[in-house]
Amino acid sequence: MTITVCIKWVLPNRDGDERFAGISLADQAALETGLRVAEALNESCTVITVGPAAAETSLRDALACGAHDVLRVDAPADTDSAETARALATYCEHSRLVVCGDYSSDRGSGSVPALVAARLGRGQALGLIDVQIVGETLSVVRRLDGGRRERLSVTGPAVLSVEGSVARLRRASLRATLSANDAIIDVVTNDASGAIRRTPEAAPLRPYRPRARVVPSPTGSSALDRVRQITDTSSSKGHGETVVLEPGDAANRILESLHTWGYVQES
Amino acid sequence: MSPTARIERDNAWPEISFEERIGTAEFRIHEKAHITVNGDSCRGCTTRECVVACPANLFVPTSDGGILFNYENCFECGTCYLVCNKEGAISWTYPEGGYGIVFHRT
Amino acid sequence: MTAPAHDFDADIIVVGAGPAGSCAAIAAARAGKSVVLVERGPFPGSKNMYGGVVYPRILDELIPSWWETMPVQRWVVKRSTMLLSDTGALNVDFRANAWGAPPYNGATAYRPDFDNWLANHAVEAGARLVCSTTVTGLLRDSTGRIQGVSTDRPDGDLRAPIVIACDGVNSFLAKESGLYPHTDASNFTLGVKETLALPKHVIDERFGVRDNQGVDIEILGGTSGVNGGGFIYTNLDTVALGVVLKLPKLAAQQKRPEQIIAELKRHPAVAPLIEGAEVKEYSAHVIPEAGLEMMPTMVADGMLVAGDAAALCLAAGIWLEGVNFAMASGMYAGQAAAEAITKNDVSSRGLSGYTDRLEKTFVLRDHKKLRKVPHLVLSDRVQHKYPAFVAGVVERVFRVDNPHPKPGVRRIVREERKKAGIGLLDLLRDGWTGMRGFG
Ligand SMILES: Cc1cc2nc3c(=O)[nH]c(=O)nc-3n(C[C@H](O)[C@H](O)[C@H](O)COP(=O)(O)OP(=O)(O)OC[C@H]3O[C@@H](n4cnc5c(N)ncnc54)[C@H](O)[C@@H]3O)c2cc1C
Ligand code: SF4
Ligand code: SF4
Repeated sequence: MTITVCIKWVLPNRDGDERFAGISLADQAALETGLRVAEALNESCTVITVGPAAAETSLRDALACGAHDVLRVDAPADTDSAETARALATYCEHSRLVVCGDYSSDRGSGSVPALVAARLGRGQALGLIDVQIVGETLSVVRRLDGGRRERLSVTGPAVLSVEGSVARLRRASLRATLSANDAIIDVVTNDASGAIRRTPEAAPLRPYRPRARVVPSPTGSSALDRVRQITDTSSSKGHGETVVLEPGDAANRILESLHTWGYVQES
Repeated sequence: MSPTARIERDNAWPEISFEERIGTAEFRIHEKAHITVNGDSCRGCTTRECVVACPANLFVPTSDGGILFNYENCFECGTCYLVCNKEGAISWTYPEGGYGIVFHRT
Repeated sequence: MTAPAHDFDADIIVVGAGPAGSCAAIAAARAGKSVVLVERGPFPGSKNMYGGVVYPRILDELIPSWWETMPVQRWVVKRSTMLLSDTGALNVDFRANAWGAPPYNGATAYRPDFDNWLANHAVEAGARLVCSTTVTGLLRDSTGRIQGVSTDRPDGDLRAPIVIACDGVNSFLAKESGLYPHTDASNFTLGVKETLALPKHVIDERFGVRDNQGVDIEILGGTSGVNGGGFIYTNLDTVALGVVLKLPKLAAQQKRPEQIIAELKRHPAVAPLIEGAEVKEYSAHVIPEAGLEMMPTMVADGMLVAGDAAALCLAAGIWLEGVNFAMASGMYAGQAAAEAITKNDVSSRGLSGYTDRLEKTFVLRDHKKLRKVPHLVLSDRVQHKYPAFVAGVVERVFRVDNPHPKPGVRRIVREERKKAGIGLLDLLRDGWTGMRGFG
C-alpha cells in the first residue's frame, strides 16, 4: 500500500521547448500533498507520469523532493486523457491513495483523476482547496459552484485532485538533488491496449455570439401593448430548464442546447 | 549625411508602454523579495540615481519623499547597488535558485 | 574519474554555468576530476544576456567541430563600426565571406541556447550539473582555508578543496574572498537591449546578407549624451539592438535606458534597419568595462576566479567581447585546478598554472594591449566631440559645393576640430593612446 502521485510533464505551447517544460502548480501541490500524507501515515510515496523521456526531469525533481519511487509510462506528450488514465490506473491499483493535480499546465480539463477513479472503482474527491491530515483520515474541502464549499472526510482508498493553492512544493535538498540526477528511472511501455491514442485536435474556440432570433410582429391593439410585447422582460425567456436523462442522452441534450443557443457551430 | 537634412526628433517615446516592454520578459516571481530598499536612507537622498538607472524602472519616488520599490520584475543586473551612493540603502541578493528573470532570446 | 578525498563531495566546485563555468567544468572533468557545476537559473543561460556575438576560436581546443552542433543564429560575415553624430553617420564596413564557412570567425547566438549547449558538454564530460541553486557563500575550515560553498538549498553545503568562481559580473564569491575590492560604479556599464522581430527575408535585404550570413555593428555615439555605445546584431528572424551606458554618467544624466534605446532607434542611420520591428524581449545586464584597470587577483588558496567575475571582458568601442575571454579563462582555470588536485597542492602556488596560462595567451595580452582603451573610448572627448568632428570632416570632403573649389582637407580638419572644441594636443594624445591600444 502506497501513496501514488500522478503528474503531467507539459511542453509550453509556444515552441515546444523542453527547457521551459515542467509540471503545473496543481501537480506540484499534489506531489507535496502526497509526500505529506505518506510521511504522516508512514507509507511510501510513488510518483508516476505518462509521457516521453524528457518528462524524466520532473520525476528526478520528485525524487529529489523525497519520493520513494518514480515510474514513467512511456507515451507521447500528447496522449489523450482516457489513455493516460488507463495507463495510470494500471499502476495505481494497489495504492491506498492517488493524488493528482486538478489541472495540467496545458489547460487540461481535469478529467484524468475522475477517469482514474472510475477505472479503479474508487471514491473520488476532486478540485480540493484544502487537505488536512487528521490521524488516519484526511479532512478535505472541495470547491462547489457558486462559491460554496463542501467538507469531506476521506478514509478508504480514494482518488483526490488538488488545486495549486493546497500546498507549496518543498525545496529539494542539495544532496538529494545531486543523487536524483544520477538515479535510474523505471520505465514501462504502455502496451496493454496496443496503440496509444493522441489527443484529437481541439475545435477552434470562439466567443459567444447569439443567433439572430425571429420575432413575430406584435399584435396588440394599442401601441403600448405592442411595445410591451417586444420589450417585456418580466416573463422569463431564459435557458433554464431541468431534465433528468441517462448520461448518454444528457450529453446529447447539452450539445443540442449549446448548438441552439449559438455556443457551438454546426459541424 | 547632409547637416541641412536635420531630422525631426519626435519626442513621443516610448514607442511601447513600459508595461508592454517589461511584459516581454519572463519573471518567475518568488514570494520573498531578494532586494530590499531602506526607505529611511532614501528620504535624505537628493540624487536618486536608482530612479534613472534601473532598467526595469522599479524605483518609484513617492510624494512623501521616499522610494517605493518593487522587486518582482527585476533583471538581477546589479545596477542599483552600484549606482547608489548611500551605504546600507539597498540590500541586494539573488533570488532563490530557479526564481527570478528567465531569458529566452537574449 | 578519481573519487574525491573523504569529506569532500567533489574535487572541484564550479560556480556559475555561463561560458566560463562550463568551460572550466569541461576542462577539469576531462582531466579526470570530479566536478560539480552549480547554476542558480532553472537551466544554464536562463540568467544571461549579452549583445549577441560569440567569437568561438577557443572552442577549437575544447569541442572539435563545434560548429556542427552549436546553436547558431547566423555566421558573422560583416563587421561594421558606425560613428554617429546627431544627424550623420560614418560607417566603416569590413566584409569577409570566408567567415561564413568553417572554421568561422564569429556567430550570433542566443545565450539561453548557447550556454545550455556548452553546459551539456560539461555534463557529457562527466561534470555534475545542479540548476536552480544559488551559491550563498564560501565554506572555510578553522584555519580559514576554503572548503567549498554553501547554497540556498536545504542541507546545501557542498565541500571541495577547490572552488572556481565563474559567477559573473556581480561575483559575490570574488568579493567575499577578498579578491575583488572594486565595486566602484565607474568601472561598470549597463547594457540594455531589445530583441526585435523581423521576417528573415527583410533582415537579409536590409543588412545585405543571405542564408545564414550575419552582421555585427558596433556603434560609437548615438547614446543621447550618456557615455557608452551601441550595437546591432542580426539573428535569424530577430535583430538585437542595444546600448551600453557608463553607470555614473547614466545616473547623472537623468535619461532612462529605454529612452536612450528609443532615441538610437530613431537615428536616421539606424531607423531604416529596424523599421516596423516588434519588441520580442527586453533585457538588461551589467558589464565590467574598465578592463585590466579593475581586474582582481585571480588566484587564492583553494580558489580561482574566471570570466566576468575576474573582469575579463573587453567592452571598448569597436569591441564587445567577453564570452571568448570567459571560455578561455574558464578552460585554463579548469586545467590548472585539475593539475593542482593531481599535485595535491591547492594553495595559490599550486594553482598558479592558471595565471601562467592567462599571461601566455590572448586573454591577458589583449587586455594589456588595450589597457587604456576602455577609458579612452568612454571619455567625454571621444564620446561627445569626436563623432561630430569625424562626421563633419567626412561630410565636407564629400560635399559638392560648386562653383566653389573644394577646400583642402587640412583646412577642413582644422576648422571642424575648432568647431567641435577639440584641442590639438588632446587630439594628438588620444591618437597616440589609441594607436598604442588598437594598433
Ligand atoms: C549588453 C552586453 C553585451 C555584450 N555583448 C557581447 C558580445 O557581443 N560578445 C561577447 O563575446 N561578449 C559580450 N558581452 C560580454 C559577455 O556577456 C560576458 O563577458 C560573458 O557572459 C561572461 O561570461 P561568464 O561565464 O564569466 O559570466 P556569465 O555569463 O555572467 O555567467 C555567470 C553565471 O553564473 C551564474 N551565477 C551567478 N551567481 C551565482 C551564484 N551565486 N550561484 C550560482 N550561480 C550563479 C549565473 O546565473 C550565470 O549563469 C556582453 C555583455 C553585455 C552585458
Ligand atoms: S536607493 Fe540609493 S540612490 Fe536610490 S533613492 Fe535610495 S539612497 Fe538614493
Ligand atoms: S538589479 Fe537591476 S533590474 Fe533589479 S532593481 Fe536593481 S537596477 Fe533594477
